[in-house]
Amino acid sequence: MAVDLTTLDLDAMAKVAARGERQSRPVFALMAFLSLLWLAPFYFLAVSIMKSPEEYAQKHPLALPDGILPVFANVAESWTVAKMGFGMFNSLLYGTVGASAAVLIATMAAHGLARFDFRGRTLWFMLIFAGTVFPFQMYLIPLFFSYLKFGLLDTRLGMIIFYTAICIPFPVLVMRTYLSQMSREMDEAARMDGCSEWRLFWSIVLPNCRGPFVALFLLQFTWIWNDLIFSTVLTQSAEIRSVMTTLQVFQGAYGDVSQTVTIAASLVASLPTVILFFALRKHFMQGLQVSAK
Amino acid sequence: MSPWELAKLDFAAFEARGRAQRRRGMWTAFAFMSPALLLVCGLLLYPVFFNVWISFTKWKKFKGLDEWGGLRQYERLMSNPNFETALSNTFIWVIVSLILPVVLGLFIAMMVRGQRMEETAKSIFFLPRVLAPTAVGVLWFYVYSPDGVLNSVLSLFSAEPVSIGFLYDDGTVTWSIIVAYLWQTVGLAMVLLLLGLAAVPRDPLEAASVDGATRAQCFWHITMPLILPTILVVVILSVLAGFTVFDHIWVMAKDYPGKRTLSLTVYMYVEAFEKSSWAFASAIAVVLGAVVLSVTWLQVTLQNRIERLMK
Repeated sequence: MAVDLTTLDLDAMAKVAARGERQSRPVFALMAFLSLLWLAPFYFLAVSIMKSPEEYAQKHPLALPDGILPVFANVAESWTVAKMGFGMFNSLLYGTVGASAAVLIATMAAHGLARFDFRGRTLWFMLIFAGTVFPFQMYLIPLFFSYLKFGLLDTRLGMIIFYTAICIPFPVLVMRTYLSQMSREMDEAARMDGCSEWRLFWSIVLPNCRGPFVALFLLQFTWIWNDLIFSTVLTQSAEIRSVMTTLQVFQGAYGDVSQTVTIAASLVASLPTVILFFALRKHFMQGLQVSAK
Repeated sequence: MSPWELAKLDFAAFEARGRAQRRRGMWTAFAFMSPALLLVCGLLLYPVFFNVWISFTKWKKFKGLDEWGGLRQYERLMSNPNFETALSNTFIWVIVSLILPVVLGLFIAMMVRGQRMEETAKSIFFLPRVLAPTAVGVLWFYVYSPDGVLNSVLSLFSAEPVSIGFLYDDGTVTWSIIVAYLWQTVGLAMVLLLLGLAAVPRDPLEAASVDGATRAQCFWHITMPLILPTILVVVILSVLAGFTVFDHIWVMAKDYPGKRTLSLTVYMYVEAFEKSSWAFASAIAVVLGAVVLSVTWLQVTLQNRIERLMK
């Protein structure tokens, strides 16, 4: 068969060959092995939630399931018996309201810190940022008793207020840098035209922060969703608990009875952040870069 | 504007107006900052100070909050064997977090970097990070259970069935939890290091290899110094996380009898919310806070020094 040499992309071929050369076999084998090792717990998760409790007890833990139908029963049971429904709803509420309020309040504070001239700005910033440098264990006891005193313990309002507060300092750090790099000329122009300070913030500054706002919201939402310790300390009843506390309490109480249901519950609890991550990978990676700086 | 017109301008009035504007600006700025200040001071900073104060009282089981105990709680801590175990276990966590995430992450990053499988490998190793720590704890709890996956896999390699209580034995419990923890966190270190590696220029590396430098030499003398800031960020992030690990231990060691000695965080929680030794638990929190603050201070100092070196 005759090959028309002119149609061959020699450059591309050379590139492929060079890449192939760099990829040595032992490295590939080692990485493939490590990857399989890393995926093994996910395999265990997948085969476990597809087994009915009886099947799980009889078979080898890594054996393939008979069918995938038990997965619905397991998830349904985690929803009803473990009360994951309540937990999911609560965490969704805490995460959405807490994270958006926190990032909004933080953007306001950053606007004040970065776009006005007054003495001691760094000091005020440090005061706000000092909120995150202490380990969480230092908040627990005073918070518990203050909440007890003010009737906020075991209430949804109390949870939202606290999650809002703890999610403020980090976004202030990021937004302050972002806003101080943004031109201040448009502020002056808007003021000249008689724009009020609040409208200046709300309709000019805030829309310009959309990128970091979304990234920070996702970061804080995930933090609130994943939080276990504060929800464990500040809530008591199943109706107020966050999803992670619900999961932990369920595992403590019934874990030995029906492992398949508990494992299904742990997947259900992670699902929203998993979906968010895959749907909005770009924003998450942005957030990651932001948090590394 | 002609000179005589300029002379007519009232500079003092200008200045006064500027000052008034700045003062008004300051109040506006404070109006914008006030919700943040209120929430942070009321719910984060006030508890920290209150916590330090509690640690100097004799508060226990709703009694003794008004009794001054001085350093009594700290003395009790020092002479308590549980505190010693909890502290040494915390240091195991810290030393592991100091070394393993960065070493494993860098190893994987160097291996997959620029290879065809880079994107796939990145996703695979980062995947556990997307799960919640509590969910990871639940999952690994069953991996480690006496009739669980790990034991059944080990049974394949031995004559008789293996049934090790990984999460019940003093010698294995901490290390078992650390493995699960690393499974979840190494991916983040790897992704951050890959970001750092992407910023390393290719030219000096190629020049060096043309001059006959070995791969190891290239790595230690060119790549390493250039990614040092990234390594520092990864190390500090993992060390601070190592000091404050709670979720993984709390979930996985739920049935371990010596649970409270597994780390300072768990010890504090158990003393406070299971034994109601409020003052004693506050003292543990203060010790933890002091250690974390010194590490943060070290981070700031080191980062400033490295930035100055880079310039």
